[in-house]
Amino acid sequence: MRRMKLAITGLTACSGCQLTLLNCEDELPELLGHCELVYFPLAESGNVLDVQFDAAIVEGAVSTPKDLELLFKLRNASTHLVAYGTCALFGGVAAMNNRVSTRRELLRSVFGAGEKLPESFPPVPLANFVSVDAAVTGCPPEKQEIMELVVALAAGTLPPARSYPVCTECRSHENLCLLLEKRELCLGPVVQGGCNARCPATGIVCEGCRGPVREANVAQELELLLERGFGRDEIERRMSRFKPEWDYGKRS
Amino acid sequence: MGSVVEIAPLTRLEGHGSVRVYREGRRVERVELQFIDSPRLFEALLLGKSFAEVPEIICRICALCSTVHKVTALLAVEDAFGVEVSEVTALTRELMLQAGMIQDHALHLYCLVLPDLLGVRGVAELARVAPDLLKTGLAIKKVGNQITETAGGRLIHPVNIRLGGLGRSLTRNELARLRDELQKVLPAAQEAHRLFNTPFPFPELPTPDFLVLQPAEHPLGAQACSMVGRASFPLRDYRQHIEETVLDYSNAKLSRVHGKEATVGALARLNLHPDLEGGAGALFKSHKQELVGKDMRGNNLAQAIEMYHATERALRLIDRLIELGPRQEETAAPSPRAATGCAACEAPRGVLIHSYSFDSQGICTMADVITPTALNQGALARDLLALARGMEGEETNRMTTALERLIRCYDPCISCSVHVLSL
Repeated sequence: MRRMKLAITGLTACSGCQLTLLNCEDELPELLGHCELVYFPLAESGNVLDVQFDAAIVEGAVSTPKDLELLFKLRNASTHLVAYGTCALFGGVAAMNNRVSTRRELLRSVFGAGEKLPESFPPVPLANFVSVDAAVTGCPPEKQEIMELVVALAAGTLPPARSYPVCTECRSHENLCLLLEKRELCLGPVVQGGCNARCPATGIVCEGCRGPVREANVAQELELLLERGFGRDEIERRMSRFKPEWDYGKRS
Repeated sequence: MGSVVEIAPLTRLEGHGSVRVYREGRRVERVELQFIDSPRLFEALLLGKSFAEVPEIICRICALCSTVHKVTALLAVEDAFGVEVSEVTALTRELMLQAGMIQDHALHLYCLVLPDLLGVRGVAELARVAPDLLKTGLAIKKVGNQITETAGGRLIHPVNIRLGGLGRSLTRNELARLRDELQKVLPAAQEAHRLFNTPFPFPELPTPDFLVLQPAEHPLGAQACSMVGRASFPLRDYRQHIEETVLDYSNAKLSRVHGKEATVGALARLNLHPDLEGGAGALFKSHKQELVGKDMRGNNLAQAIEMYHATERALRLIDRLIELGPRQEETAAPSPRAATGCAACEAPRGVLIHSYSFDSQGICTMADVITPTALNQGALARDLLALARGMEGEETNRMTTALERLIRCYDPCISCSVHVLSL
């Protein structure tokens, strides 16, 4: 089988998605036999961009002219472009304040007034600028999901998208329901599953790191949380942690 | 005639960076180290968030160091509100820090540095030319990850450690399994120093001004920062001793301690806290000549020794946890008050400081994070210049290779460094 040519990189991000790939210790040696890491600065030297890639796997949101330049290059050079992780798909943590403060205010409060500010705009998903062929969500993504993706790409196809919420897996594990039974601010009902409900399994609420599930009943979640006495501000703040815009009136 | 050599992007390290060497004929005029990760402005994002959210958000600064960021943030918030945690919670947190040390040093040494020693491009070629070495490294790394995933509930951005306690404590079976896995890699961790003791074929560098946290015996209870040849200063006063400058060519600010470029990390720790326990202590003694008072070329060897030390220490922590037995701990719920808290931990790359202020409702009004890479940036720039000058007249290729290798000695983590310093 021909080894597929891959580009793997990050934009505005923490490298966690790329690290997740390197954390597949058992699969990595075999995986490396099936692909050519033409552009993967985190783990390879001598990277080149001016080739045709079978796929570019891109972590992170877009927030600088340099991010945008690299994204366009990779889109043009790749058969498939994969949005890898929550930041690439929804903006992620760097975007949480997009609706409440301007980029300039944020930059000034970190880099000081009167100083030269880095060039930067509000972090947004890849799809705001380019077409995206496949996605792996999560902050961080599950190892199994990035493996599924790479194996599918090697087979010339794309992995199926998941469309069930965190609650599905959480209930099947018979975890205590933190939302209904402990009245905590759990986002499980509106957040995409596939993580085996990791957080609720340890008794910690779903913080929503995988972004919205398809057809999320956002309005119902909002009502449930309001009924439990949480303030609208607090709810919106928590919902925005990984994705700044939600349609709070949406019912599925 | 003037010329500029650019190394961009820097590779086999975390984040986005570049180096420019400005030359006048053969003479090296200056070297610019740029950390160009897109700023994510965490300290600004945290303002207005509740204390409970702070550790969950701030660990996203960096994937490689997410555990130590989370632990340090928890300690800082608990410091603000005067929360005490149980021994099981403290041991579990420390176990996760040691696991982070194992996984991070193994990743750096076996995936990022080893290609330099074998003259290959990276991890893919390693899998072909040295599959057994790579597998050894990955096996060590995996054990660190297994501990983090079991104790933390998730490998990156762990969730099970929380304010005042744990989501759930580890079962006897889990602890026994982790102990077995650690024991399996103990011999390989012990041998790692042989591989990373390879002499670094480039000129000598300036002697570093090492900076570490004290006391070393209490990884979760740092009280002071100590610098070679200086009186130590209380952690709480760090702002008076660490100055930062905005650079016009880099998104990270330059930090100086007592007006000097501090060096933090494995080599600094072994220099200032040489009394390691167990087998790692003996190993360190046999390598003293190559480490004590030496420049950063010794850092990879220091990391290899620390990786072994962390493996041994993790085993001792697990034994203690098994002795204490599994118990469902009551989580001490913090009651917010207007206060400032500060904490620091030795991250794999060195001193990491978190400080937060809250109003009476527990809403964050100030956030400040000092990362090891931001602290090391000045020393790294200084060493790059010294190395480039020491190699004046040599082939450009040889020089850029040397500069890249030097940068990997520092093991920088750029996404940590660029957006976390507030004025």
